[in-house]
Amino acid sequence: MSNIQADLHALYDIMVTRIPGPTLETLYMVAVSTLLSLVLGMILAMVMVLTGPKGLRPIAPLYVVLDITVNVLRSFPFIILIIAIIPFTRWVVGTSIGSTATIVPLTIAAAPFVARIMEASLLEVDSGVVEAAKSFGAGNFQIITQVMLKEAMPAIVLNVAVVAINLVGYSAMAGAVGGGGLGDLAIMYGYNRYEMDTMLAAIIVLVLMVQGIQMLGNFFYRILK
Amino acid sequence: MIRIEGLNKRFGDHQVLTDINLHVEQGDIFGIVGHSGAGKTTLLHCLNGLESYEEGSVKVMGQEVRDLDDKGIKLLRRNMGMIFQHFSLMNRKNVWKNVAFPMEIWHMPKNQIRERVDELLELVGLPEKSHERVGNLSGGQKQRVGIARALALNPRILLCDEATSALDPRTTISILELLDDINKKLGLTIVLITHQMEVIKMICNKTVLLDQGVIAASGETEAQFLSPSPALQRLVQDEYAFIPDGVNIRLKFPRHIAKDAIITRMATDLGINFSIVGGRLERYRDHVLGYLIINVKSQDFQIVTDYLRNNELFWETVQDEQHPS
Repeated sequence: MSNIQADLHALYDIMVTRIPGPTLETLYMVAVSTLLSLVLGMILAMVMVLTGPKGLRPIAPLYVVLDITVNVLRSFPFIILIIAIIPFTRWVVGTSIGSTATIVPLTIAAAPFVARIMEASLLEVDSGVVEAAKSFGAGNFQIITQVMLKEAMPAIVLNVAVVAINLVGYSAMAGAVGGGGLGDLAIMYGYNRYEMDTMLAAIIVLVLMVQGIQMLGNFFYRILK
Repeated sequence: MIRIEGLNKRFGDHQVLTDINLHVEQGDIFGIVGHSGAGKTTLLHCLNGLESYEEGSVKVMGQEVRDLDDKGIKLLRRNMGMIFQHFSLMNRKNVWKNVAFPMEIWHMPKNQIRERVDELLELVGLPEKSHERVGNLSGGQKQRVGIARALALNPRILLCDEATSALDPRTTISILELLDDINKKLGLTIVLITHQMEVIKMICNKTVLLDQGVIAASGETEAQFLSPSPALQRLVQDEYAFIPDGVNIRLKFPRHIAKDAIITRMATDLGINFSIVGGRLERYRDHVLGYLIINVKSQDFQIVTDYLRNNELFWETVQDEQHPS
């Protein structure tokens, strides 16, 4: 057998034996934390749009607090955030290690990011359309949910793809708390043990995953637009 | 319908509106005209509570707008439709859904909404576009959708915020005709703000001229154009170069004289000559008004003006602004 064939054979072995488990872990962590951070971040974004300086009902003190909180949480290096909120994680899921435990810091890290980009998307909505909704007597909640969210939907879908892709990256650090996943696999075998084959395999799957998420995002964007 | 008394409005240190007084009656098409930045939009927004005001009184359908709570404001807005310069339609809804939206906001029954939307699209002349996406419509069509949406809740007042400023002249006329039609058919009171004199002339029965937040002139549109105030003259600048010698007289023809051959008759009656500098006939709502600028020799000035006075013509002397005599 030639060298190339041997290499491919080894890569195939790794793909079959080492990759499937971590792939599922990554998918699990990314999917759940994307969903949770979307819910949390969206609520935050809606409150910020409502209370912001040019909002529908400006409440300066509340907005300032939220604004600073979002900035502070976004400043934390993710690896430090994981360690810092271990007690909180343990309180929420009962343990601080494993994939499920990793979802907590992933969500906490992504939610403020979601809040910020969703706030931006909602504020992008033509102020004239908002004024029109006011002019026929729509309430603030109706304006946010039925006008702003509706009009901003294409941008929001693209943002969801951005968030999910970011979370794929963040989840690589999950290894620090035994979360597993592809990133962890790549670090463990490739960086710590110089097993390039495994690292390569993990990275190929990650690339495909990111590509897939972006394509999905673009697909829905086109449908909505 | 709307009564504003002593209204003052500031943005910080900047006085936007000063001592505004006006009265809009049921069935009026009330024009508020002025340059951009004159405070027109702010004034309009005070009517439906989109802006607050510090001093004075704004009474709409008998209610002081400032005293209304959230619910009261919503009910007030339900009775006041509004259309916009840039149409402000939702791009992600089709024509039908845009028109239906105000009714959905007010939780009206589905079958009632269906009936009303069809009726409205018929009224504005777009029944075949109901499933079209808003982005595929022309400006005029978009404004028709805007009008249908504004009428969806059966308002008693329609506010128009520079509704024709983004449209070409021909489309502007067709939109104004539609508004006039709605005013007559539905008895809807219309308040419109614009910087286009043509709009005022074509459909408004009453006009106020807003200049830097102050009402510079107000009254019946026709009377205002027959004897324009200095502020109105500044807004409608003359495009004629005048003859430097003699006296230039601007004659104005009210509706019962416009069709008579008054000028030629004057020449034969008085036996004098004069030159015609320029003139124009204009449509004001349903009739024609005109003006003519003639140049007479200084020695003829007295007899000409006497003649004009005896024939109940409106006149004034005008000066060439570049070459004041």
